Amino acid sequence: MSSVTVEPADPRPVVVDCRVHGSRCRSCGRPDAWVRERCAACLGPCEPEAFGPSGIVWSSADVHLPIGHRLPPFTLAQVDLLDGPRVLARLEPTGELAPGTPVQIVGSDDGDVVVGP
Amino acid sequence: MNPAIVGVGTSGFGRFPTERIESLAWTAVVEALDDAGLTPSDIDAAYVGSVFGPPGIANRVLAGVGLAGIPVYRIEAACASGTVALHEAQRAVRTGVHRRVLAVGVEQLSVVFDGPIVPEPTDPEGRAGLALPALYALQANRYLDAHGLDASVLAHIAVKNKFAGSLNPRAHLGGTPPSFEQVLASRPIAGPLTLLQCCPMTDGAAAVVVGADTDPGAVPFLASSFVSGPMWDAAGDEPWSMRTVAAAAANVWEQSGRGPDDVNVAEMHDAFTIGEILTTEALGLAAPGTAGDLAGRGETALGGRLPINPSGGLLSRGHPLGATGLAQAAELVWQLRGAAGPRQVEGARVALLETMGGGAAGVDGNACVVALLGAPS
Repeated sequence: MSSVTVEPADPRPVVVDCRVHGSRCRSCGRPDAWVRERCAACLGPCEPEAFGPSGIVWSSADVHLPIGHRLPPFTLAQVDLLDGPRVLARLEPTGELAPGTPVQIVGSDDGDVVVGP
Repeated sequence: MNPAIVGVGTSGFGRFPTERIESLAWTAVVEALDDAGLTPSDIDAAYVGSVFGPPGIANRVLAGVGLAGIPVYRIEAACASGTVALHEAQRAVRTGVHRRVLAVGVEQLSVVFDGPIVPEPTDPEGRAGLALPALYALQANRYLDAHGLDASVLAHIAVKNKFAGSLNPRAHLGGTPPSFEQVLASRPIAGPLTLLQCCPMTDGAAAVVVGADTDPGAVPFLASSFVSGPMWDAAGDEPWSMRTVAAAAANVWEQSGRGPDDVNVAEMHDAFTIGEILTTEALGLAAPGTAGDLAGRGETALGGRLPINPSGGLLSRGHPLGATGLAQAAELVWQLRGAAGPRQVEGARVALLETMGGGAAGVDGNACVVALLGAPS
């Protein structure tokens, strides 16, 4: 008997064509960065919706620690997608942007949402 | 029955990778029972907070100090695990379920991580690389921008708390406290947070015995509130954790009939400097945008109007996650008894305890406990 090492399912938002493929509640209108059948807030029915590529930086921060495959420095940003959810993204090129700065989803990198000016 | 703290104890705080994790807790529990003048047979139930402790740790700890055969509950609420254990212990006494209850917190991070806590890969933001320093750095940059402040204001918290910690023989990072300039010049970690603005990875344990306010030397609970965060998403604009702390504080003011002006001393969650600033303001102890400046002017330092984190806080005493809240409680009990030695806040009659546990994506904190303690009669 021994322990097993299985990579857990990837929980990050899915980016296709520079848009986050999520969903929106038909009852309360809440956007979600994931495809859901039922709303996380009210359990209403959801339908798929793609968000982005446009958004604004809620906040960003340079990270000077290695985190997984990401070597420092790299920049993380909380981004409010236009009429959509807030998502955690990696900012390219590296460097903090002030809250309120417009950004665009430019793709994904090994599963990370990547945004740029 | 009105609940009260009747005994406290802690281990030393530091890195103890060669010790058994149980032994850290045994030290704390024995000190707490001795402090209360009780024996194991006086304890009716135990709540044990631990985040990264191994399976079965609660029962193994308790069985080693004569506490087998009672109801045992393990609680994981991130950094607030020990404080939630304390809240549940006082609730069990308040509601008459038990007469005397032990709350224990224990953590041995040195055998789990060789650096900072690794973000949880099953969490969407953890998988995206959101280590805890980065989570707080994002809040710091948002806060500094909102209030038009320079990042150097954060360093006042580290200078203040590390000075207090230098007076605490149990602190992980005692010794000579750093200057304002040394805090700012230390290695960058995330955003505006430098190394000396981040808590250490600490091993340790703490224990609190909860009984009745009629017990000898009892430190009464004036109020206690435990809330979990609401959804944290684009619908909200406040930095992460603030709504949750404010909600728990509002409950405490309502329960106790007291307010921020009644507090004489506080221990709160300063895992990172920005954490103490956000928390101080969310609790209503400082106006928005002013908590860093208050620390710089000494108002929240030892000898000031409202000393915050006289133990040295998580930044200096250390942050053994599951034990942290109970170490905070122990410090406040010593303060209210007038037994805090060189860290004593003169005339402390009302003490505030706050711990925030977080890390789950999409919610404004996994758990927050705010409690008010009164002086022994």
